[in-house]
Amino acid sequence: MTNLSLADLAGYLRQLGEGALVTLELFLASFALAFGLGVLIGVATLARGRLIRAAWRVYASIFMGVPSLLVIFLIFYGGSAMLGAVLGEFGARIDISPFGAGVAALGIVYSAYVAELVRGAIENLPKGQFEGARALAIPPLVMWGRVILPQVMRLALPGLVNVWSFMLKETPLVSLAGLQDLVASAKIAAGATKEPFLFFVATALVFIAFSAASLWLATRLEIRLDRGQRRDPARTPARAEA
Amino acid sequence: MNPLPHSLDLAAEPAIAISGLVKLFGDHRALGGVDLTVRRGEKVVICGPSGSGKSTLIRCINALERLDGGRIVVNGIELTADEGTVQDIRQEVGMVFQHFNLFPHLTALENCMLAPQLNRGLSRAQAAKLAMAHLERVHLADQAHKYPSRLSGGQQQRVAIARALCMEPRILLFDEPTSALDPEMVNEVLGVMEDLATGGVTMLCVTHEMGFARRVADRCVFMDRGAIVEEGGSREFFDAPASERLRGFLAQILH
Amino acid sequence: MNALPIDPALAWESLPALFQGLQVTVFLTVLPLLIGLALAFPICFARMSARRGLALPAETFVVFFRGAPLLILLYLVYYGLGQIEALRNGPFWIVFGSPFGCAIVALSLNHAAYMVEVLRGSLLAVPHGIVEASEALGITRRNIFLWVRMPLAIRYGLKAYQNEVVSFIKGTAIVSVVTITDLMAVANSIFEQTYDPFTPILCAAAFYWALVNVVRIGFALWGRWLGRHNEDEAVRAARAQAPLGISGEVLP
Repeated sequence: MTNLSLADLAGYLRQLGEGALVTLELFLASFALAFGLGVLIGVATLARGRLIRAAWRVYASIFMGVPSLLVIFLIFYGGSAMLGAVLGEFGARIDISPFGAGVAALGIVYSAYVAELVRGAIENLPKGQFEGARALAIPPLVMWGRVILPQVMRLALPGLVNVWSFMLKETPLVSLAGLQDLVASAKIAAGATKEPFLFFVATALVFIAFSAASLWLATRLEIRLDRGQRRDPARTPARAEA
Repeated sequence: MNPLPHSLDLAAEPAIAISGLVKLFGDHRALGGVDLTVRRGEKVVICGPSGSGKSTLIRCINALERLDGGRIVVNGIELTADEGTVQDIRQEVGMVFQHFNLFPHLTALENCMLAPQLNRGLSRAQAAKLAMAHLERVHLADQAHKYPSRLSGGQQQRVAIARALCMEPRILLFDEPTSALDPEMVNEVLGVMEDLATGGVTMLCVTHEMGFARRVADRCVFMDRGAIVEEGGSREFFDAPASERLRGFLAQILH
Repeated sequence: MNALPIDPALAWESLPALFQGLQVTVFLTVLPLLIGLALAFPICFARMSARRGLALPAETFVVFFRGAPLLILLYLVYYGLGQIEALRNGPFWIVFGSPFGCAIVALSLNHAAYMVEVLRGSLLAVPHGIVEASEALGITRRNIFLWVRMPLAIRYGLKAYQNEVVSFIKGTAIVSVVTITDLMAVANSIFEQTYDPFTPILCAAAFYWALVNVVRIGFALWGRWLGRHNEDEAVRAARAQAPLGISGEVLP
């Protein structure tokens, strides 16, 4: 059935492993960017200002309304020019790598989803949380860092897990900008060995396994966060207020 | 006791005959061998503390719960697992639920029309005429084109009664029909039920409305822990309860 | 400073080609949406069945075709299935031998897997008491499904369905890798001819954005029509919907 020699197979496997590492790095970097940017945007756009809310709507509408692949191409092809416009002569000389374009594109696109989740979670917090912290004269930065955001993360966790697994499935798009990731390696191996079925199914299973493993972890994390919530009510401001 | 509105030969065959009914929920014995016979045209009220198995009992009659033992015969049809038989029995038996369970996506009129259209193949016009007649009977003809979300709880429950009546069942089961209602709406529903009781329909009603039971019931049944503890005509049931448990129960709910 | 140097002349010239690309994108959206939905029903019933022999294969289908990235599915169908001798010589080669056929197969399977979960969630959301009330009225199981469970499930699942359709449309942008000239591919080829990194891609972005928002508006209207039994809620939902239709967006 297969005419792969063991040595060949080992070689391809090493390549696939390297590709998988690239995919993992890309994914984690993109998620970190999306998360950080998303929380920042989510908190910043909660203000009542009309202009800020309008800006948020435009941002979200654009990045939720166009394919991630398009954003990847836009940044990959046009990134240098954009940097040039912002940073001047120096920026124009920066070359955009597929990896950098992928991280920037996926990070920006998914930051809109993260921001949406964060906004929703903050709006669902009981108003007493803010009032309690204010009544205790807790400085705003401490209030956000120690009181509000931890609870927001707990509320937003199921949605973040969605973003996590959805984003994972979009990381292969960056291979179309030339990134040598898992999917690109699989494609090369498939073409060279004439065994596309084997390599693509295996690649798909790697994604599914990674997704399942992280889902399992997320569920455990969720249970732990919920337990902390119930066992340690003294730390919530609601109690402090009373 | 009460003379039957029907001819006597009909009375020979009971509307509902339950014997040795057992229902298990896991290890819990919800019904532990219940016997109950309801004559045609009889109005029976079942009461008892929560968890006594009274709702389970009437839900078994139209096969909403599967039996784990015993027999149920409804108008001469023995209840089996066979889907056709279940369907036959459900045509004979109408049911009204505690939480109304109206179809939220249909108007009051359409709620009443659905089953006649689907089960008996009535045309839209025929079904609408039938539904309107029954909505009039529960004094809701003017609300026929409203959706359930626009109706009060009492109105919703009356639509639910009209919906059951549209299948023209010979037996009506009520599962705590007023428990989910605000107090001021209880009477409009009980009023409709009392009107129905004056007809020949057989009624089996789980309720704690003791005034209703006194006025309407031919017989009251008290259940506790999955068994019938006491039964009797409504007068002796309330005025001279025999068992300690019923006395305790009545003392509790009459406050 | 011109931050986004769009060349109006090039944009104007590109319009006919972009429109043609849009037509391909719409075609590659509509057909898989229909096929995927049709597949989703039987698979969903199998998935919800009490029989392991039915539920397990259905669940496996969902896990694989939902969990695998779309690009890999497309490669798998396009390159992988050609490996199978029987298929290459069989009558289905009309489908699997063409890029369009492969794209439609891959997209449909992916959409079907998502829709199984959307359907299942919506059907499970139908209150049990309402189904019981229908049973008590003597309505048959088939009629209960058609007239009670399904109409309610559509209402409960509309938002999830919309999210899936929107993300599906965006997902079709990958079909250019199997030589199909969709909207994305047209923009790419104009870029390759002109080396203008902004004009063609931003024009394509506008087309995608418009397509996605037409779908959103369509869903909003559909939802309002379905929600007429609960006017208060419909009005509230319409108000909550931001003008650009982004409010309440969740990933499927």
